[in-house]
Amino acid sequence: MNDPVSGIALGVVIVGLALSTFVTRTSFLIAGARLRLSHRVEVALRYAPVCTLAAIIVPDILMHGPNATLDLALLNPRLIGAAATGLWLCWSRNIFGCLATGMAAYSVARLYL
Amino acid sequence: MTAVAAERRAAFRAGQRAIVPSLFGAGAWGLVSGVAMVKGGLAVPWAIMMSLLVYAGSAQLAALPLIVAGAPLWVIVATGLVTNLRFVIYSAALRPYFVEQPARKRAALGFFMTDFTFTLFMRHAQEGKLPGRNRDAWFAGVCTNNWMTWQVSAITGIVAASYVPTDWGLEFTGTLALVALVGPSLVTRPALSGAVVAAVVALLAYHLPFKLGLFCGALAGIVAATLTDSWQQRPPPAPTESA
Repeated sequence: MNDPVSGIALGVVIVGLALSTFVTRTSFLIAGARLRLSHRVEVALRYAPVCTLAAIIVPDILMHGPNATLDLALLNPRLIGAAATGLWLCWSRNIFGCLATGMAAYSVARLYL
Repeated sequence: MTAVAAERRAAFRAGQRAIVPSLFGAGAWGLVSGVAMVKGGLAVPWAIMMSLLVYAGSAQLAALPLIVAGAPLWVIVATGLVTNLRFVIYSAALRPYFVEQPARKRAALGFFMTDFTFTLFMRHAQEGKLPGRNRDAWFAGVCTNNWMTWQVSAITGIVAASYVPTDWGLEFTGTLALVALVGPSLVTRPALSGAVVAAVVALLAYHLPFKLGLFCGALAGIVAATLTDSWQQRPPPAPTESA
């Protein structure tokens, strides 16, 4: 593993992310009634996080290795771990259960497959 | 004066009590975010600083792989911004309840709002269980307990993770936490189609420079979800055959 990331550049990133939290959370609370969300914009904002997270999660699960190649094998340990979390999620919203199931399946698959 | 102060303190305490049932979830989420920050590759002091300043688990987890890959600043911040966009809707929904407060206080209450505290506030509002006066103090109590719980567990996770060997693969908990976060919202057709389109485009565009594949994916997904949503709103065409 490489050295941990640190330094001033990371500090700038952190401040930038803090601003993204501040701006979104306080937007309408500060801007007041003059701003109004059109229906279409509200719909787009509602689905933005799901889409962004899907665009992060799926490549993270399916693309890995030194050259980041697509791994669609059903025995891909990350796929098995994510599937286990998904299955657990179908009948319980308990986050500890989700993570424990997913990590257990991922670890077993990684070590023994 | 003292009567007013006492009433505000009582409202603050009532808020602190109201959030207690969901603190377990906030604690779990904070712990996982903390562990993932360090296992993903951030140095401990910077991970703690990020937790304290950013205070948004999903945006932090989304930004993490980009930071580690050395993506440009604007890509990282824009990713955090898009992940946080749901808060724009939350802040619009909260506005009517705090409209009489000074701007400074509205900004503070807004910054400390999270998924948990917003959901709790709106549920109490719908059930008519908000206090008639001192709502700001009540919500401040809610947010204070949520913030303390999240920070204590996140910092615990950050410090503890640095003692765990890397080959345990603990950084994958971050990805799994995002799966658990997204999963329940995939039940509607627009969300599902948006997620599928976003994932496919992100995979196809994965090798674009600056991690721009993520953006292309997110944008394509948002367009797909919005289109699906507007098709659903339209009245269904007259059936040509009965099913």
